[in-house]
Amino acid sequence: MQKDKRIFGKVIMTLALIFFYLPIVFMIIFSFNDSKSLTAFTGFSLRWYEAMFKNHGMMESLYVTIVIALIATAVSTIVGTITAIGMAYSKKWVKRYIQQVNDLPMMNPEIVTAIGLMLLFITFQIDRGFTTLLLAHIAFCIPYVMLSIMPKLRSLDPNLADAAMDLGASPWQALTKVIVPQIMPGIVSGALIAFTMSFDDFIISYFSTGQGVKNLSIMVYTMSKRVNPSINAISTLVVLFITIGLVLMNILPFLRKKMVKKEEVNMGELLPKKKWPKIVGAVAIVALVIGLFGWGRQAGSKPYAGQTLHIYMPGEYVGENFISDFEEETGAKVVMDTFDSNEQMYIKVANKDRYDILIPSDYMIQRLIQEDLLQPLDPSRIQDSMDLLDSSVLDLAYDPHNAYSVPYFWGSVGIVYDKNKVPLSDLEKEGFNIFLDPKYKGDLYLYDSERDSFMMALKALNYSMNTSDPEEINAAYNWLLRCVQEMDPEIVTDEIIDNMAQGRKALGLIYSGDAAYVMSENENIGYYLPTSGTNLWTDAMVIPKNAENVDLAYAFINYTCQYEAAYDNSSYVGYTSPNKEVEDELAETDFEGINAYVPRTGYKNDEVFEYNADTRKMIADMFAKVKIAASNAN
Amino acid sequence: MKKFAQLAIPYLIWSFVMLLVPMILILMYSFLKPGNSIVHFQLSLDNYIRFFTDKDFLIILWRSLWIALKTTAICLLLGYPIAYFISRCSEKMQGVLIMAVTVPMWINMLVRTYAWIGILSDGGPAAWLLSLFGFHDVKLLYTQTAVLIGMVYNFLPFMILQINTSLSKMDRSLLDASSDLGANKFQTFWRIVFPLSLPGVVSGITLVFLPAVSAFFIPKLLGGGQYFLIGNVIENQFITVGEWNFGSAISMIMALVMMLLMLFVRKLDQKANKER
Repeated sequence: MQKDKRIFGKVIMTLALIFFYLPIVFMIIFSFNDSKSLTAFTGFSLRWYEAMFKNHGMMESLYVTIVIALIATAVSTIVGTITAIGMAYSKKWVKRYIQQVNDLPMMNPEIVTAIGLMLLFITFQIDRGFTTLLLAHIAFCIPYVMLSIMPKLRSLDPNLADAAMDLGASPWQALTKVIVPQIMPGIVSGALIAFTMSFDDFIISYFSTGQGVKNLSIMVYTMSKRVNPSINAISTLVVLFITIGLVLMNILPFLRKKMVKKEEVNMGELLPKKKWPKIVGAVAIVALVIGLFGWGRQAGSKPYAGQTLHIYMPGEYVGENFISDFEEETGAKVVMDTFDSNEQMYIKVANKDRYDILIPSDYMIQRLIQEDLLQPLDPSRIQDSMDLLDSSVLDLAYDPHNAYSVPYFWGSVGIVYDKNKVPLSDLEKEGFNIFLDPKYKGDLYLYDSERDSFMMALKALNYSMNTSDPEEINAAYNWLLRCVQEMDPEIVTDEIIDNMAQGRKALGLIYSGDAAYVMSENENIGYYLPTSGTNLWTDAMVIPKNAENVDLAYAFINYTCQYEAAYDNSSYVGYTSPNKEVEDELAETDFEGINAYVPRTGYKNDEVFEYNADTRKMIADMFAKVKIAASNAN
Repeated sequence: MKKFAQLAIPYLIWSFVMLLVPMILILMYSFLKPGNSIVHFQLSLDNYIRFFTDKDFLIILWRSLWIALKTTAICLLLGYPIAYFISRCSEKMQGVLIMAVTVPMWINMLVRTYAWIGILSDGGPAAWLLSLFGFHDVKLLYTQTAVLIGMVYNFLPFMILQINTSLSKMDRSLLDASSDLGANKFQTFWRIVFPLSLPGVVSGITLVFLPAVSAFFIPKLLGGGQYFLIGNVIENQFITVGEWNFGSAISMIMALVMMLLMLFVRKLDQKANKER
């Protein structure tokens, strides 16, 4: 019986360890993969490490994570210890109050704490960024530190401090020489918990940061839409750090024992000496970290050396070397923040988050202009760049004479389909209504964008996508409900790119540029624009009113319009360049024969989005409901 | 020592601003109509009414609780034997095993969850493993199973560590006493070991259930865009839709439901303690 139990125990323990470590091993292996695939190992390569080191956003997120964790741990350990001691000698109501308040972050779901802090920072108009991130981390770490110290204090004789002082110790001495050493184990484990919590935190950080300051978790969250093995590379780096830390932790006591043996002869006071290796170790780690990240920032004689440009733009929207080349040329540093949808961007901008450049879509630019959130551009500063652009993307209804915006990319929205699974005749016959064709049930992707989902539904019903007729919008809502309830679609954003490139589903709604990329990866994929018309969109660069570095923003706009930069962006991402020369050249080279790259211009049923404050809210609410209905359908 | 009492004063202020005020703000927002400012506002119950009169929101709340319950149950069923096994090992082995369980927790949660995308995706190792057992073309990624796996993976260590702590604190001589008095192994476990480990079980349940209900990146990464839990609804309200009042109301409702459940669990624990 006993033996059986041990075998059962051993088996389940082994399985659990495999379960715990499998993803980590998997991640390490695939960080060395030669191809982009997460499932097929095609050969050994270090290219993802190279990409990671080049991408200073990733390196910086690691830096932010470590620095925040170290400072938050130090501060919360000190404050937590002091408060816990003070509390032990305080009146009852103080004790009760602190215990209750400390329970808030520990007993509440993390997202509630996170939202509370976000509302706090916004209500008191504190710019969210590194400082708020740090404050938030300290706030949720202190209660855990106190939690691990308090039991130790409780088991302490309350007369200890008095005894010490009767014997002539000052209060400070009584505190540091008597009480603190007694509760040291609690302090150490509290500090460890605080470090782990801070290092690992995502939810609270996600809501309390801003201005492109990201920790590792936020970085992974925003990058995970598209397969990016660099995430595996940076994770492997973290595993390496932790392994080194563990080894050091296990070796240090061993070394110390040796040292202590030697010192025993000298009869030194052991306690103060014991602390030294730890403090030295901590200082060494901090110095190493700061040194590791600091060396890259040398000031130069470049025009914008030492300055920072904050950009807020859609994810996966720049060429491989675009940002680093811009930094090289100007000497400035770019901090890039990315969004999934224009609506998400709007909320941040409307709440006064500071950026120097935004890249929203047409209708959103119109809204930002209406709400007086943008600066008019000085025509004389951008005229040379405007001359390089395709006239069909200029002077459109959302921003007449381009008084506020300079186009960045443009294109259409259409249906991406697997030629082996979907005959073209079906598409020609049904248009967007193919998304209701039972033949393709469970085999399609919807795009997680309220605007374009409603565009599709309205166009399928042969209405204008800019309609303000509630009945038509309601009909579109019902069309979408029917789609998610009957057709079992997957609602995605950038995930569609890799999934369609691998031919996982038959069809989906997609932006032209993503389609161009998918088609260049997989020749069996086609792109179709329904005859009922579609959305002809432009994403353009604008400078918000509260921008801090306007000169640098102009430099960025002009740089982006140049041939080299535009070529790098467009050829890498697949979206159509507004630079006429690049557009024409790529249409004949990289994207030859790919209809998604060349937008359909001048077609009578195609439209450009216009902003309408009344329908916006209706559509936003309805789309939130569509997603919930989709979630409840399966 | 009255002097030491002053040490707690700075934290009184800090905790008021950083911990209490945020909660008050959520509460306030949840009772305001959208578009109100701090200076000019009007109280209303609209946000709450909207939540409770909409079947879809209630379904999602229910599903979030249900999947969190499943996660907790699985973690308990797996975690208890593992914790028990660890507590019966030699001291040295215990240290090693506890370390082995703890280390993955230090590697970022998101990173570890991200790794599951590769494992669970079509043609990945999980599908290969299943095909060995004759299950072909099983779809794992972007299903509820994937979300469940992700949750158990992330929260199981909490359960193991909590139960193990209370098991290893137990006085071993109790077991000898029990068997000396004629109890068999099962009776010893059920009458002595299990009740004594209850505090660990309770705090383990708390530590698993609480984050599981409000999780939102695990469903988002592994469940895909069409798998919503209550955490996703809240995130969506704040990040994309921008209706903070409604989002605050949902947060309050969730916090309240959780608080009630936690009180219930604690009561059960106390009752069990008294009966002993």
